[in-house]
Amino acid sequence: MIRRTAFLAGASVLAVALTGCGEIDQKAKTDKIYAGKKDERAADGAAFGGDKKKWEAKLAERSVAQNEYARTETKK
Amino acid sequence: MARMKFICDAERCIECNGCVTACKSEHEVPWGVNRRRLVTVNDGLPGERSISVACMHCTDAPCMAVCPVDCFYKTEEGVVLHDKDLCIGCGYCFYACPFGAPQFPQAGAFGLRGKMDKCTFCAGGPEANNTEVEFKKYGRNRLAEGKLPACAEMCSTKALLAGDGNVIATIYKQRVATRKKGPEVWGWKMAYKEDGNIAAAEVKS
Repeated sequence: MIRRTAFLAGASVLAVALTGCGEIDQKAKTDKIYAGKKDERAADGAAFGGDKKKWEAKLAERSVAQNEYARTETKK
Repeated sequence: MARMKFICDAERCIECNGCVTACKSEHEVPWGVNRRRLVTVNDGLPGERSISVACMHCTDAPCMAVCPVDCFYKTEEGVVLHDKDLCIGCGYCFYACPFGAPQFPQAGAFGLRGKMDKCTFCAGGPEANNTEVEFKKYGRNRLAEGKLPACAEMCSTKALLAGDGNVIATIYKQRVATRKKGPEVWGWKMAYKEDGNIAAAEVKS
């Protein structure tokens, strides 16, 4: 009985602690609905032709290139 | 999915205004409107710090909440944009924004306030990507070209980082870990001795 109670207490503490690791909702907390024109997705331009994976890869490459420690790392 | 964010490393910013100039030049922003600007604290004193400020593309953006005509929207990447065809130039967003990001052109007579203009994270606006119409209203759409904002890519010391929040946070973490020390490694104390007296030892000798 004591072991079961300890297990349940441990599990609930772990569950509460793990909620801090969750993804925060990125949606704006407003009830307002955008009333303007619909925008094209960034990947939908002429450069990528709707290929979101390719667009994301290109952007990730440029993002990482901002890290000069990675850029200037000497080859061993 | 990427969530676009800016980070400005105050320990690296040298107040060169390169980001401000890059933004103005890239988008041909009119006179009097500054989508990005530099804020300096303790100017000219030991411990001086500068930070580059523009729209921070808030997760829960207050400008969106207060807009009476609902002209704001968020892209899939978390970039806060607005439709200039709807904007009435009321200025509510300016009062709501903690960063002073919304700007209003005041080219007309009698203090006329034009439609709001702000940093777009170089993502244009609600017009077809990379068109003349989009450029005239919102500036260049670098994101659709697979490029990051001009301000960050032009930053000479890479104080200003832009891109997916997780990626730039990792870069920043590595910097802090590599420095090993606190702010004293950079800036005044490193360059001008511990007591802030500008290279006093060298001047005497």
